[in-house]
Amino acid sequence: MNGSFRTCPTTGLKVHAQADALIKANAVVATVALLIGGITAVLVLLTRWQAVHLLPADLFYRVLTVHGMNMLIFFILFFEMAVLYFASAVLLNSRVATPRLAWAAFGLMVLGTVMVEWTMFTGRADVLFTSYVPLRAHPAFYLGVILFAVGALIVTSIFFGTLVVAKREKTYEGSVPLVTFGAATAAIIAVITLAHGAAIYIPTFLWSIGVMHVDAQVYRLVWWGLGHSSQQINVAAMVSIWYLLGALTIGAVVVNEKVSRSAFVLYVLFISMASAHHLLVDPGMGSAWKVWNTSYAMYLAVLASMIHGFTVPAGMEVGQRLRGYAKGSFEWLRKAPWGDPGFSSLVFSVIIFGFLGGITGVTFGTEQINIIAHNTLRIPGHFHATVVGGTALAFMGVTYYVIPLIFRKQVAFFPLAKIQPYLFAGGMVVFSMAMTFVGTFGVPRRHWDITFQQAPFDVQFAPAVDLLLGIMALGGLIAALGGGIYILVTVWSVFLGKPMAEGRTA
Amino acid sequence: MHTGLVSPKGIWWKPAHKAEKIWVAIAFAWCMVLFAMMPLWHFKGGQNPSGIRHKVTAAAYARRTQEFIRTYQVGTDAGIPVVEPPPGSDVYLQATSFSWTPVLRLRKDAEYIMHLSSLDVNHGFSLSPVNINFQVVPGYDYALRVTPNEAGEFQIVCNEFCGIGHHLMVGKIIVIDGDATASAGGGE
Amino acid sequence: MPFDGVPQGIINPPGQPAAGDGPEHAKAPGTLILVFVFLAAFVVYYFVNWKLLSFLWKVG
Repeated sequence: MNGSFRTCPTTGLKVHAQADALIKANAVVATVALLIGGITAVLVLLTRWQAVHLLPADLFYRVLTVHGMNMLIFFILFFEMAVLYFASAVLLNSRVATPRLAWAAFGLMVLGTVMVEWTMFTGRADVLFTSYVPLRAHPAFYLGVILFAVGALIVTSIFFGTLVVAKREKTYEGSVPLVTFGAATAAIIAVITLAHGAAIYIPTFLWSIGVMHVDAQVYRLVWWGLGHSSQQINVAAMVSIWYLLGALTIGAVVVNEKVSRSAFVLYVLFISMASAHHLLVDPGMGSAWKVWNTSYAMYLAVLASMIHGFTVPAGMEVGQRLRGYAKGSFEWLRKAPWGDPGFSSLVFSVIIFGFLGGITGVTFGTEQINIIAHNTLRIPGHFHATVVGGTALAFMGVTYYVIPLIFRKQVAFFPLAKIQPYLFAGGMVVFSMAMTFVGTFGVPRRHWDITFQQAPFDVQFAPAVDLLLGIMALGGLIAALGGGIYILVTVWSVFLGKPMAEGRTA
Repeated sequence: MHTGLVSPKGIWWKPAHKAEKIWVAIAFAWCMVLFAMMPLWHFKGGQNPSGIRHKVTAAAYARRTQEFIRTYQVGTDAGIPVVEPPPGSDVYLQATSFSWTPVLRLRKDAEYIMHLSSLDVNHGFSLSPVNINFQVVPGYDYALRVTPNEAGEFQIVCNEFCGIGHHLMVGKIIVIDGDATASAGGGE
Repeated sequence: MPFDGVPQGIINPPGQPAAGDGPEHAKAPGTLILVFVFLAAFVVYYFVNWKLLSFLWKVG
């Protein structure tokens, strides 16, 4: 079994059995994390909706920590490990470089995850996702993150190793496909990210056991080197998935390889250090540092996203026009397969990431505008649009192809699967827009009670705030329903679904 | 033409065609605007996070705050000292879990140098309903030159998670209409 | 249609575009419209925020 390959009846690719197994294992764990993250999302949402105010204060901050860690670290990174194996071994017809090490790394990541979950669930890590020093968690929290990061770093190295193996064993001709190139840039950013992670979590672990001092401002600086760069991994992975889904669902062409690949390279060069936009109203750094590091003078990472924002739909349009859907400006889009959940996920991901996530993010990342945005609900309003409406939605869309192509199962409850992206995207649009709007009234993020019971002074937010929080909750509940359907469909398909008939192509 | 799933054939380093070039040029021009606005606002705009910044120990900052309160206290509100510093002076606001000390009485259109620091963990200074937000970091004194532009009562909400009493952490700044001269020293 | 749970990209894969059409002929007018709408939204949102900022106390 170890050295065997199968030939994919749909794509003709030669798939290494270990690649299949590693993709499946990582995808399954990612889905478990998504489920925990999703349940905690509903609990948090029903608490921020003051009319319901479900959780008491201590549980709220605990559940918020669980939500952040599971969504932003465990769900997304395990899924991205699966993407790395797919983009290297599967797309290049290659064997996985060192399967035994790959499984050891997987085990390390799972061990780290379990350690962190344990500290959080038992109330030993009520420090939120950012764990800002001097808020202190149990040492096992920091150690668990370190082990997880080491495992992920090993998987990233195996990705590069597989690229080398594939090249040497000539399992493909010419340059790697664009999707693999994009995944490689995500992997490079991952190395930079994880290096920052080590640089901050090792000293912080030592601080938690009383061995060294960690300055609060230095912590924020280095942590966001990890925290922001990790989001750029998500962007690069998401964009690679956009090209992948475009190809699978609609035969989108690559309009110009040079342009798309250069845009990926811009991500590597210019985003890894732009974490400064998290520190724009911090006391430790001056304005010159802030203006320079939030932009590198030319905002080239933003340019890169705007380039992909053009080339991804353009590739779809060109592909459709060359197939005959050339009437008017938008026949190519109207006559597209909107009933294919992979396609609808792709389109909504592009729109939500660009319009809601990108515009708000770049605006708040302006040195001075940050003064009216920092730590208000505008911030989570922004990043739910990028990470959830953008990356997570794209990952969900590609799952509908992973199920038949890798798990070799039919997608269960397919009529539900078809509407799932609409529910999820629609809910997230309402959620994100309401949250961002409510933040403009100064409503704080990460806050248990904005009626400020028992505080010395009364704070009256604008009357619209209560209504907006209700709308936000409604959008969130719809999105959670969409997320729940996704989990139901994928779990059922994988474990109880009908196998694909062998030899099936079209 | 090919999809992103397959290796491109031959040399793929080809010139972009017109629509791509136009879009990249426009997008790049916009990126330059995004950058230029920041230095521009430093020269032309009234809101910048520059400040006068120093490292400071919690003990030293606490001492300075206590002295500030002693010098300018005019009363108490909800058990917290109320101070009325003269325009132009250094004003000290201290964040601890879970209170903002002292309550400030300032004058409209007068400039003050408002210092922010924390004695324990990160806090968030969020002035409501104006919506002015700054990070308050232990070990750092963030002094901002502020000039209130309207009279009224403003609350300071803490918007960085600081522990279980985070929602109890509310301070107050009162701004009064009055003599708008910014003379230093000479309070009442 | 995929009532048997297989997305359309697999059971009805998009065929190759017409042969002989090179990138020089590739046009994307619809996409150009979409990205200009995006840019307009960006410009508006961005400058509205500068305006909001200007209402604040002077701080620096």
